[in-house]
Amino acid sequence: MFKYIVRRLILSIPVLLGVSFLSFIIIQAAPGDFLDQFRMNPTFSQESIRLLEEKFGLNDNFFVQYGKWLFQMVQGNWGHSFQYHQPVFSIIWTRVGATLLLSITTLILSWSIGISVGIFAALRQYRPGDQIASVVAFLGLSIPNFFFALLFLYFAAKTGWFPIGGIMSINSAEFGFWQTIGDYLWHVVGPAITLGFSGLAGVMRQMRGQFLDQMSMDYVEFARAKGMPRRTVVFGHALRNAINPLITMFGYALSSLLGGAVLTETVFSWPGMGRLTIEALNAQDLYLVMATLLLSSLMLIIGNLIADIFLAGVDPRVRKRFQ
Amino acid sequence: MVMAQENQTPQQVEPSFEVEYMSRWKLIVRAFKKHKTGRIALVILVIFYALSIFADFFSPVNPYVQNTDRTYAPPSEVLWRVDGKFVGPYIYDVASYRDPVTYQRYYEPASVIQEITGEDTDGNAFSFSLDDPKIQNIFTRFESEIIAVGTEGERTLTKSSKEMKLVPISKKEILRQGGIDTVYNSPEDLEVYLNNPIYSYKMNRIGQLTEIHVDEGIRALNIEFTDGSKKTVEVGSIDDFSFKIFKIKLFNRGWEYKLFGLIPTNLHLFGVDSPAQYYLFGADAYGRDVWTRILFGSRISLSVGFAGILITFTLGLLLGGVAGYYGGWTDETLMRITEILMSIPGLYLLISLRAILPQDLPSHITYLMIIVILSFIGWPGMSRVIRGMVLSIKQTEYVEAARAMGYPTRRIIWRHIIPNTSTYVIVSATLAIPGYILGEAGLSFLGFGIREPQSSWGLMLTQAQKLSVLEQYPWLLLPGVFLFFAILAFNLFGDAVRDAFDPKGLGN
Repeated sequence: MFKYIVRRLILSIPVLLGVSFLSFIIIQAAPGDFLDQFRMNPTFSQESIRLLEEKFGLNDNFFVQYGKWLFQMVQGNWGHSFQYHQPVFSIIWTRVGATLLLSITTLILSWSIGISVGIFAALRQYRPGDQIASVVAFLGLSIPNFFFALLFLYFAAKTGWFPIGGIMSINSAEFGFWQTIGDYLWHVVGPAITLGFSGLAGVMRQMRGQFLDQMSMDYVEFARAKGMPRRTVVFGHALRNAINPLITMFGYALSSLLGGAVLTETVFSWPGMGRLTIEALNAQDLYLVMATLLLSSLMLIIGNLIADIFLAGVDPRVRKRFQ
Repeated sequence: MVMAQENQTPQQVEPSFEVEYMSRWKLIVRAFKKHKTGRIALVILVIFYALSIFADFFSPVNPYVQNTDRTYAPPSEVLWRVDGKFVGPYIYDVASYRDPVTYQRYYEPASVIQEITGEDTDGNAFSFSLDDPKIQNIFTRFESEIIAVGTEGERTLTKSSKEMKLVPISKKEILRQGGIDTVYNSPEDLEVYLNNPIYSYKMNRIGQLTEIHVDEGIRALNIEFTDGSKKTVEVGSIDDFSFKIFKIKLFNRGWEYKLFGLIPTNLHLFGVDSPAQYYLFGADAYGRDVWTRILFGSRISLSVGFAGILITFTLGLLLGGVAGYYGGWTDETLMRITEILMSIPGLYLLISLRAILPQDLPSHITYLMIIVILSFIGWPGMSRVIRGMVLSIKQTEYVEAARAMGYPTRRIIWRHIIPNTSTYVIVSATLAIPGYILGEAGLSFLGFGIREPQSSWGLMLTQAQKLSVLEQYPWLLLPGVFLFFAILAFNLFGDAVRDAFDPKGLGN
């Protein structure tokens, strides 16, 4: 198992190199750079612009720039952000927290509800409960994230039940420990519901479909025929087999959430990775963009890896293949 | 049915006949027809596309003309009766006012005076009508006075005189009675006046405030004639008057456009005469009709999906087919590239690619670029699946046979292998369309896609992003509703197509 993980991680290195090179090409191909705003500004002298160019290594040739960046990156120096005048690493670090909090809340919310409602619907196929669940799932899959976020904001503004964006109240510094947690939970409801709703719908549909497939298998029929209690058949046999494809799905969900949800974060002004990336792209903040893109790609790879490890944990057949 | 009839012999007429001899396409169509939600979704899509193709015809107002005096005007209120008499659907024009306390703009239905008769202060009768060709405009001089009455006397707080062309319909009663004196004496109403610093200063000598009188009335009419001359009539009393109404006309002649970009016409399904504007869903920040903008936006939102899958699937089939068929280093290189592209989160890749292009491209080039970029994100996944399918189809006997007969590779790929992936391609294409619609909407919403003055559903929702605006003008959310229904319809339609193509379901 350990060998497998190491092998997967090593195999992902060329992919990450490719990602970084491609990102570098894309960003450098965009017209202009961050210093353009200073070049337009008459209060900046030619001399200071030249110094800035030198400082950020912008006047080297493309491959030299990429080589330098890569060399520094491997050593743990992720470069300096142009717009924040801070090391990229420390900026990202503050944002990763917010993104992690949001994605963990969202995952817990959508997966716990999605799986249980999916099982519930499958056990009551074609009855009213199942049909309501299907309708809700279709709504969830069809409603655009940012539209749902706007609807939620409208609702929040009209009723005043929820805050209208941000991660903390203005006076959060005065709060005690529990109050801070409560304040955070109060703020996370909107973005988490927005992000979770579509995820929930997908999980629910997938769970229901997989479960029904398993329930019509011969082994379930056999277990029933020999008089095994329904509970054991459903939860001990059918469910364990139905859950496998969902774990693969979980990997994708995890990685896409860790990469930040640009649209939802924008609407709720959530200080996460998604918004950071967009702002950095807008400002052509080269090294910050590189770091965020690379990090989110890494998240994607790690998310898939975690899913595979989970799968091995659940399914003995997969475990056997690894040995 | 031609084939089926040829094969029809007496002993084959059995219940299983049509199952065996219907062509595959007929079976698929039949299976689709049985799918109820799929049929409903198809109807919705057909309506959407009809609205989008004939957007100009269904639009009462020009989507690109800004009306800065009507920013965020509410949906026009359709009325049916004038003074209890049925006249058919009509609207009034609107005029905007600023609330003197909150400084917020609000709209009230208002209209010009169509006809007015009465007596002036000297007792002479007058009668004016807009139907009279000599009269250009009728202006009214509206006077209002606010008087505070207290325990120790009374005082005029403010006196105003306004010349108005558009008279708010809410002043109808005042006009009818020639003037009205409204008395406010409830504590809440008095509180409002006491809280106003200027008024409360003026009220300091009248003791305890008991009543507020608002005295309003039309004091004069200013008539503007077509020859340029003007006349002022001091109004003594009004016998009768009427507001101009704007009837909603079917097949109205309105703004000029070109049908299909070719035939110049000005025919619209419905509309009203200018200067009134018929806002079905209200107006946006530039006073443009939201309904019209939604129709024109649908042209982009609904076409992006089809154009996108066309490019994606051509690329995917081509590259996936080549990789799967030839194998070796071609396969290796292509698959590594797809892996890299798939490791970058989609939306970031979209935006970074958009950033390469100059911001100030002409609108149709921007539109094409967005489609190309969206397809660029889509092809890796597609070509990986096609590659897998080609790998397995390559092993089948009929491909072996084709190769043994010496057919050229190109022919084998295009005539034998690719057609066998068609079921998958059609099904996944239908299910992929919502992704493209969402991609475009998301890009435009973030400001990286379609730009003003062009319209797209995502772009329109940008205006709803400011909470203070959204709270007051909720109709700005309507493009999202359309987006939602379009995606829902495509999802349901895709589901039905998938079920129809499922070989398990075809027989029954």
